[in-house]
Amino acid sequence: MIESPNVDVLAIAPEIALLVGASLVLMVAAFLRGRDRGIGIVLGIAAFAVSAGFAIAAWGDPPTVTIAEALQVDQLTQAVRILVAGCGILTLLVALGWPRMREAGAEYAAILLFAATGMTLIAGSNSFVTLFVALELFSISLYVLCAFDRTSKASLESGFKYLVLGTIGSIILVYGAAFLYGATGSFQFDGVAAGLAEAEPGSWLVVLGVVLVLAGLLFKIGALPFHMWVPDVYEGAPTSITGFMAAATKIAAFVALARVIAEPLAPVRDTWEPVLVAVAVATIIVGNVAALVQDNVKRMLAYSSIAAAGFGLIAIIVGGEAGSRALLFYLAAYAPMAIGAFAVITLHERDHHGTTTLDSIRAWGFERPFAGLAMVVFLLGFAGFPLTAGFLGKFLVAGSAVESGWAWLAVVGAIGSVIGIAYYLRVILAMYDRSARSGVHAAGAPGLASVSIAIALCLALVIAGGVLPGIGIDWAGEAARVLAAGR
Amino acid sequence: MITATTLITVPLIAGIVILIVPFAQRLAGYLALLVALGMVGAVVGFIYRFQPMAGYQFGDDAEWIPQLGIRWSVGLDGVGLAMTAVTALVVACALGYGLWAGRDRTHATFGLILITEAFLFLVFAARDLFVFYVGFEGMLIPLLVLLAVWGGEDRRRATVQVVAYTAFGTLLMLVAILWLGLTAPGGPDFSMAAAVGRGNDLVFWAFALAFAIKSPLFPLHGWVLPAYRQSSPEVAAVLSGVASKAGGFAFLAVLVPLFPEQSARYAWLFIALGLIGFLWGALLAFRQPDGRGVIAYSSIAQMSFVVLGIFLLNAQGSTGATFQMVNHALVSAALFLLAGWLETQAGSGDFRKLGGLARSRPVLATVALVLGMAALAVPGSSVFASEFLILLAAFADAWWLGAIASVGIVLAAMYMLRWISAVLHEREGDLVGQLRPPDLRSGALLAILPLALALIALSVAPAQLTERVDPSSQMMVAGAYGEKEAR
Repeated sequence: MIESPNVDVLAIAPEIALLVGASLVLMVAAFLRGRDRGIGIVLGIAAFAVSAGFAIAAWGDPPTVTIAEALQVDQLTQAVRILVAGCGILTLLVALGWPRMREAGAEYAAILLFAATGMTLIAGSNSFVTLFVALELFSISLYVLCAFDRTSKASLESGFKYLVLGTIGSIILVYGAAFLYGATGSFQFDGVAAGLAEAEPGSWLVVLGVVLVLAGLLFKIGALPFHMWVPDVYEGAPTSITGFMAAATKIAAFVALARVIAEPLAPVRDTWEPVLVAVAVATIIVGNVAALVQDNVKRMLAYSSIAAAGFGLIAIIVGGEAGSRALLFYLAAYAPMAIGAFAVITLHERDHHGTTTLDSIRAWGFERPFAGLAMVVFLLGFAGFPLTAGFLGKFLVAGSAVESGWAWLAVVGAIGSVIGIAYYLRVILAMYDRSARSGVHAAGAPGLASVSIAIALCLALVIAGGVLPGIGIDWAGEAARVLAAGR
Repeated sequence: MITATTLITVPLIAGIVILIVPFAQRLAGYLALLVALGMVGAVVGFIYRFQPMAGYQFGDDAEWIPQLGIRWSVGLDGVGLAMTAVTALVVACALGYGLWAGRDRTHATFGLILITEAFLFLVFAARDLFVFYVGFEGMLIPLLVLLAVWGGEDRRRATVQVVAYTAFGTLLMLVAILWLGLTAPGGPDFSMAAAVGRGNDLVFWAFALAFAIKSPLFPLHGWVLPAYRQSSPEVAAVLSGVASKAGGFAFLAVLVPLFPEQSARYAWLFIALGLIGFLWGALLAFRQPDGRGVIAYSSIAQMSFVVLGIFLLNAQGSTGATFQMVNHALVSAALFLLAGWLETQAGSGDFRKLGGLARSRPVLATVALVLGMAALAVPGSSVFASEFLILLAAFADAWWLGAIASVGIVLAAMYMLRWISAVLHEREGDLVGQLRPPDLRSGALLAILPLALALIALSVAPAQLTERVDPSSQMMVAGAYGEKEAR
C-alpha cells in the first residue's frame, strides 16, 4: 500500500474553493443548453470571493508546509491568494460586458478559475516540481483563454503564439530544474539551497541550472530577452484576459521568482545577480523605447508592461525586507491599473467595433467622460504621478534600491519613467483631441454596467493606494517578511 | 479653523468635482471663481493673522505614511505666505478672464486650474520633502493637460518639450529625495528639517536641476517660449505668473536651507547663470515680434534676476528676490491676460499688425501704461523697490556684479517701452484698422484690474510685504551665508 501524504485541508481551502467553483460552474453549464450562460460568470465571482475569504481569515496564521512538503502556506501565499482572487473578480466583471459571454460565460469562468489556482499554487511552491506543475496549470489555461474569441483571427493567433513560445519557456524551466537536481540531488527548495551552499562555486551544472530556471521565470514575467511574445499575445487576446495577464500573471510569476531567489538560489547570489541586473536595465530601456512608437494602444500597454516588469526586477535584485515589501506593493498597485486600463479599452472596442488605436480613440474621452477620466488616472498611475498607487509603488521600489546601494538602478528606472510619461501622454492627448470628431456615439449597451463597476473599483483602489497607502504597505511588509527571513 | 491644509484640500476637491460633474459652462466657471475668491479671502485672513517672527504658521503636522517616516507637514512662513497670496490672486484673475473669454468645454479647464492652484499651495507650504514632491510634480499634470488640450496650433510640440524638460528634472529629484529621506539617521524621515546639511553634491545637483528647469534658468529655458505661446492666456498667466515661481521659491526655501555648504560653494555658478539669463533674456525680449514673445523672454530675464538675488545669499538679496517674484507674478500674469485679450480682439499679437491702439481707447491705454511702467521699474513702483534690493545686495557682494546687473535693468526698460509703443502708439496697424477692436471693458478689465491694483498697493506700502518676508528669508539663507563667510 502506498502511503498517502498528509494534506492539511484547511491550509489549502482557498485553492479547493477555486477548483470546486470551477467544477460547479461547468456542471451548471451542462444544464444551460441554449440559454444565457452569463450565470457562470456570477458563480465564478462567488468562487473567487469565497477563496479570498478563506485567505483573509487565515491571514496571520503561523506558516505551514503541506502536501508532502510540496506547498508552503505562509503570509506570502495568502497575499497572492487574495490578490489573484481580486484580479479574478475584476476580470470577470469586465468580461460580463462581452456579448460572447452569453454563449461561453461558464467555460470562460471555469478556465479562469483554473488559471487562478495555478497562480496561487506557484506562489506557495516549495519544490521545483510544484513550481512547474503550477506554472503549467495557469499557462495552459491562459493559452485557451487567449484564443477564446474563436471568431477573431488575432485571438487565435495570440493563443497559438503563446502556446508555442510559452511551452518553450516551460521546457527551459524544467531543463534548469533538472540541472539543479543534478547538482544538488533535490527538487525541494531547502534541499537545493543546502546543496548549492556546498556545491563548487561556478560549476557549469550550477550556472546552467540557475540561468535556465531564471530564464523560464523571466519568460513568464515578460522580461528581456524573452519579451517578444508579450506584444502579440496582449494585442490579440480578448482584452479582459489581457488585463488579467498583465495583473495576475505578473503577480504570480514575480512572487515565484522572488521565492526562488530568496530560497533555493539564495546561496548563489553571485551567479544570478549580474544576470538580473543586466536583464532589468535592458527590459526597462527596451520596453519604454518600444512603447514610444506604438500606435495600437493595447500593444503600447504591452510594452509598458514589459517596462514595468523591468522596474519590478529592481525590487527583486534589492531583495531583503525593503525590496520584497516594495515588490509586493508595486505588484498590488499595478494590478488595478492594468485591469482598469484594459477594461476601459474593452469599452472603447465595444463603442468603436474594432481595435483601439491612437487614431480610433481620438476625442473619445469627450464621449465617455467617466471612462476617459478613469483612463487618465490609470495612465498617470503607470507613469508614476503622485497621489496614485503607481507612484507609491515606484517610490517604494526606487527607495529600496537607493537605501541598499543600488541608487543607479533607481536612476535608470527614473529615466525609463520619463520616457513613459511621453507615451502615456500620447494616449491622453489623443483621447482629448478637440480638433477631431469622435466617430462614436456612446449609446448604453447591455452589460456595460458591470464594466463600469469594475473600472470604478479599480479607480478607487488606485487612488486609495496613492493617498492612504499605509495599510497596503503594512500588509506588503507582513507578507514580505517571509522572503526576508530566507533560509 | 482655516489652516494651510484647508488651502490645499478645498481647491483640490472643488477642482476635481468641477472637472468630473458636467456642469453647464457658465455655472462651472462661477463655481470655480467662487472657490478661487474664497482662497483669496482665506489668504487675506492669513496675512492679517501672520506673526513675522513666529516662523511657520497656520500649519498642520500629522502622520501620513508612518512606515516611511512621511508626515503631512505643512505651514507658511513669510516667503511661503507671500507666494501663496500672489498665487491666490493670480489664479482668481486667470479664472475670471477664462470665464469672460469663454471657450468650448471650459468646465474642465476651470477644474484643472483649481487643481493647479492646490498643488502650488502645496509646494509653498510643504515642510516635508515627500509632500513637496507631490506638489512639485502634481502641478505638472493639470498644466500639461491645459496646454495639450486647449493650447494653440502648435500645442503638441510645446507639450512634448515641457514634459521632456520638467519630468526629467523632477524624477532625478525624486531619487535624491529618496536618498535624503531613507538614509536619515534614526530611521526614514522625509521632513525638511531632518535633511538640512546631510546631502552630498550629487543630491544637491539633482535638486538644483529640477528647480533650474522650472524657474527657468539659462540654459534650461527651452520649453518656456513654446509653452507660453501655445497656452491660452489664462493658462499662460498661471504658468509664467505663479507656476514658474515654484522653481524660484524652491531655490530659496528648499535648496539653499537644505544644502548650505553646496549652495555657498556653487553660488558663483548660479550668479553667473542668473546674470547671463538676465541680460540675454532682456536682449531677446527686445527682438521678439509679438507681445507674448516679449513677455515670455522678459519672464526668463526676471526669473534669472531672482535666482541671482537668492544666490547672493544675504538678507537683502533673498528678501528682494521674494519681493521680485511677487511683483513679477502680478506683472507677467496681467501682461499675459492683456496680450491674450489683444489677440482675441485684434486677431493677432504681431506688432506689425497692431499699433495705435491708444487712440480712443483710454482704459486700455491707462492699464497698459500702468503695467508697462511697473514692469520697467519706474522709481516709486514696487518692482523698482524689489530690483533695488537685489541690486543693493549685488553691490554689497561685488561692485562689478551690481554694475552688470544694472545694465539688465536698463535693457528691461527698453523692451517694455518698445512693447508699449508698438501696441499703443506708432502707426495704426492693418488689423486695428479693419477690426476696430473695442476698448478694454467689463469682464476682461475686471480680471486684469486687481493685479494692477495689487501692484499699486505694493508700490505705496512695500514695507507691508518686506516686514513679513524679511525674517523668514533671512532665516533661509542664514546657513549658507555662514558657510560663505567662512570660506
